[in-house]
Amino acid sequence: MASVVPTTPTRPRSLVVASAFGTGAVLAYFGGLFALYFSIRADAMAWGTRWFPEGAIELAPGGMNMATMAFSAVTMGWAVHAVLNDDRVHAYLAMALTAAMGIAMVNQTAFYISDIGLPIDTSQATTLMFVIVGSHLVMVVVGVLWLGLLLLRALGGQDTSRHRDLVSAAALYWYAVTAIYAVIWIGIYIAK
Amino acid sequence: MTTTDTDASSTALEEAITSTDPVTLAKVWGMGGMTAVLVGLVAGLLVSLERLDLDGAGVFGSADEVFQFWSVHRVALVLLGVLPVLIALGTTIVPRQCGANTLLFPRAAALSCWTWLIGACMTVVGFLVDGGLGTPGGGGQRQATALTLMGLLLVIGGLLVATMCILSTILSGRAAGIGLGDLPFLSWTTLVAGTVWLGMLPVLAANAVLAYVDLRGRPAVRFGAEDAIWEQLSWMFTHPAIYVLALPVLGIALDVISSATGTETANRGVLLVATAAFGFLSFGAYAQSFFDTPGTPIMEEAIYVLDAFVIIPIALAVLGGVADLLRRGGSNLGSKPPAPVVLLLLAVLLVVAGTVLGALRVVAPWDLLGTSVTGAQFTLIVGAAIIGMVAGLNHWGEDLLGSPGSPGLILLGGLAATLGVALIGAADAISGFGGQADFTGVDLATAGYPGSGVGALNAVALLGAAAFLAAGLIWMFAGVRHLMADTEAEVA
Repeated sequence: MASVVPTTPTRPRSLVVASAFGTGAVLAYFGGLFALYFSIRADAMAWGTRWFPEGAIELAPGGMNMATMAFSAVTMGWAVHAVLNDDRVHAYLAMALTAAMGIAMVNQTAFYISDIGLPIDTSQATTLMFVIVGSHLVMVVVGVLWLGLLLLRALGGQDTSRHRDLVSAAALYWYAVTAIYAVIWIGIYIAK
Repeated sequence: MTTTDTDASSTALEEAITSTDPVTLAKVWGMGGMTAVLVGLVAGLLVSLERLDLDGAGVFGSADEVFQFWSVHRVALVLLGVLPVLIALGTTIVPRQCGANTLLFPRAAALSCWTWLIGACMTVVGFLVDGGLGTPGGGGQRQATALTLMGLLLVIGGLLVATMCILSTILSGRAAGIGLGDLPFLSWTTLVAGTVWLGMLPVLAANAVLAYVDLRGRPAVRFGAEDAIWEQLSWMFTHPAIYVLALPVLGIALDVISSATGTETANRGVLLVATAAFGFLSFGAYAQSFFDTPGTPIMEEAIYVLDAFVIIPIALAVLGGVADLLRRGGSNLGSKPPAPVVLLLLAVLLVVAGTVLGALRVVAPWDLLGTSVTGAQFTLIVGAAIIGMVAGLNHWGEDLLGSPGSPGLILLGGLAATLGVALIGAADAISGFGGQADFTGVDLATAGYPGSGVGALNAVALLGAAAFLAAGLIWMFAGVRHLMADTEAEVA
């Protein structure tokens, strides 16, 4: 006799929904900062004022960081795919790579910021840049800690296709981290 | 599991602090919020007292001190008062309305509650030690201002996490078979308002972080300058952002009056759309006049002006829904309508009055944006929110605490509050047309050289502030008595 399959609730997964709300709030935070940055920058440009000191912002470090973040988004997707397929070895590898790239990005940004020697109180531009880049670094560190937790759970056999919500939630957050960095890269490093 | 395991030796305080029970958390949110409302009302009364003499300092020593109390009045009512009490309702009543077993993420909800409480204490202490959110004369203590900003950030963080828990419960935790369109109005308006909070509060946090970073340790570049901090944050306490405080109250009114009259709302779909539109029109993070660039100021832009006018028919539509419920089911209320029904009807009327005043405020030829009409509108909307949420707490008090509250005291307080709000609103609105500034300071130049008769109107506003404070004290007494009766019943 065929067993009766219990009906499962059709509601969205709560962890992913909560992560979406949290990520949305983070996007709103950066949205506010970017709006101020671009508004004040446009105003300064209209008056013919120099936004950053000549040569202060270089393209290469921002470009390297962008490449790192873009690649980490791919490995994060790989982690989700591996967990969905109960492929634990690839899940370990993908999560560890993503976290390592997050750490590399933090390291590179910290080195660059100390290297350019631009005081935070030079102008409105530098204050805004440090707040935006600093807030993003905090966001990356939170993401790396989250990935570390996921890695521990995966090592304990808890991140499986049946319990994949935390990985999906982390992936959503990480994609937002990458998207925000893309705006930083274009708005601050390229457009200067 | 919604409560933390406690051993037999744990004290009541330990149990309260470690509890993840939504009802316990709601008590903290509710009592903390109502205490902050009282703090805000006391500050408002003192500022009203100072305004009796516009050409000199009477109660306070300087314009900076007046400003600190004037700004704490608004911060305490909005971020430390109304929003937390709405969170209290969202933590307990909304999950029940959705058919959820409990609030999702109870530990995160507990963390948010205590984070908010610590932040609220830091904010109030920051104001009291000569800090606050900047001063026009730059006479405050920088360290204390930094403390206030840090407290404000914790408050925002706590409110955001709590909102996420409530919204996740509505979307993911509600019972199977209940669609979003089937939600009771409190849950629906909480969903809409919560979404708008998640969009606005992080922007306020961004403003506060920018000011904090610029303030610390070196001369401020711009954002952390003492005379600039409040201007960057003030958008949260004016049109259109304050409307979002009134939105859940509209939901409470529709639910409570529907329940009391035993009548279903007609045109439910229209009311769902109207309340959603009311919520999204209240998104005010864009209206930051401090960052105006050359060209049309943001408060004279079409979006800002249109917003003020479009929201009136929407508020009227909700009032129509309430009136229709009373028309069809009013006979079921008997000769003595329940206190929550009376108070919620008054609250909705005050919301409508607030939206009308908001539209008058943006009419360019009258030039009212910087006048006390702004304060009048704030009082009408926030007053309506306070009256409405107290009515909601009274209506659902039995669900929360297991025993009914004191409807007589609640009604008495509500009528006093309505009288106070109406007096302040009317007096400040007329004074605004007479040229009185929103922040009057301690000299006639700061007060905008208002015309004759403003002194009498300010005396009327003072009476209103006293009536509002009396209402707060009556409610606090009723609330504490209710909580104590509940505790005694538990012990027995």
